[in-house]
Amino acid sequence: MTAERSAVATGRGSRGFEIVLIAVYGIFAISATARSLVQVLRDFSFAPVAYLLSLLAAITYIAVTIALVRGGRRSAVARGLCIAELAGVLIVGTLTLLDPALFPDATVWGHFGQGYGFVPLLLPVVALLYLRRSGRREEGSGPVA
Amino acid sequence: MTALSIVVAVLCGLTALLGLYYALRELNADLILLGACALLTVGWVVLGIALGLRDLGGGSPEDPITLYGYLLTAVVLVVGGGWLGVFERSRWGSLVTGLGALVSAVLLMRLHQIWPGGFA
Repeated sequence: MTAERSAVATGRGSRGFEIVLIAVYGIFAISATARSLVQVLRDFSFAPVAYLLSLLAAITYIAVTIALVRGGRRSAVARGLCIAELAGVLIVGTLTLLDPALFPDATVWGHFGQGYGFVPLLLPVVALLYLRRSGRREEGSGPVA
Repeated sequence: MTALSIVVAVLCGLTALLGLYYALRELNADLILLGACALLTVGWVVLGIALGLRDLGGGSPEDPITLYGYLLTAVVLVVGGGWLGVFERSRWGSLVTGLGALVSAVLLMRLHQIWPGGFA
């Protein structure tokens, strides 16, 4: 009853749905970084390709998180990175199916992110749709920085 | 440890569901949601302390770095989710608070998978 309605959401400092994207990308940045560092530091030679690809995924997630925090929904950098991320998931996912011998150990984007509930595959799609939609809306409503 | 894990799991589910409910009803995070989040944080910290005391008393889990890494990550997730819920005054802030709790539940599940029978 007394809880404020989110009509205030459009007020100063509010990011709206963007904050959910930032949070999920942040979670993936942390978990992929931790995982790849453990993999690389523990026994890099066991599955170098898989571990390097984990590291690449981690760096991508960190970059998208930073781009979203700084530029928000209007960030062209974030859009470019999300496209690269989607390409990465698709390429690595296909590779793990075509050439399993390259991957003695799992990597973040392996099997299209199955180990993470396929969220890595969905995330860039949702992000790109959201970035496109809000970019278009703001184009219509006035000057964009 | 099992009883404690169950308590933490219940708190995770409760906070995650509350966050989802708030997001669906377009509510900002209030003291109820944030309180649940704080309780969950306390639960994770107590679980971590209990494990730490056990290990200080002579227990030696397999792969302690990963174990304590998981515990630390869980606390960071729950606190971070609550923090964003405080500063993002919209339904999405509440959703993030719930998401933090949900992901920490996944971590708890993984803990039991990696160290079956009580994290050791």
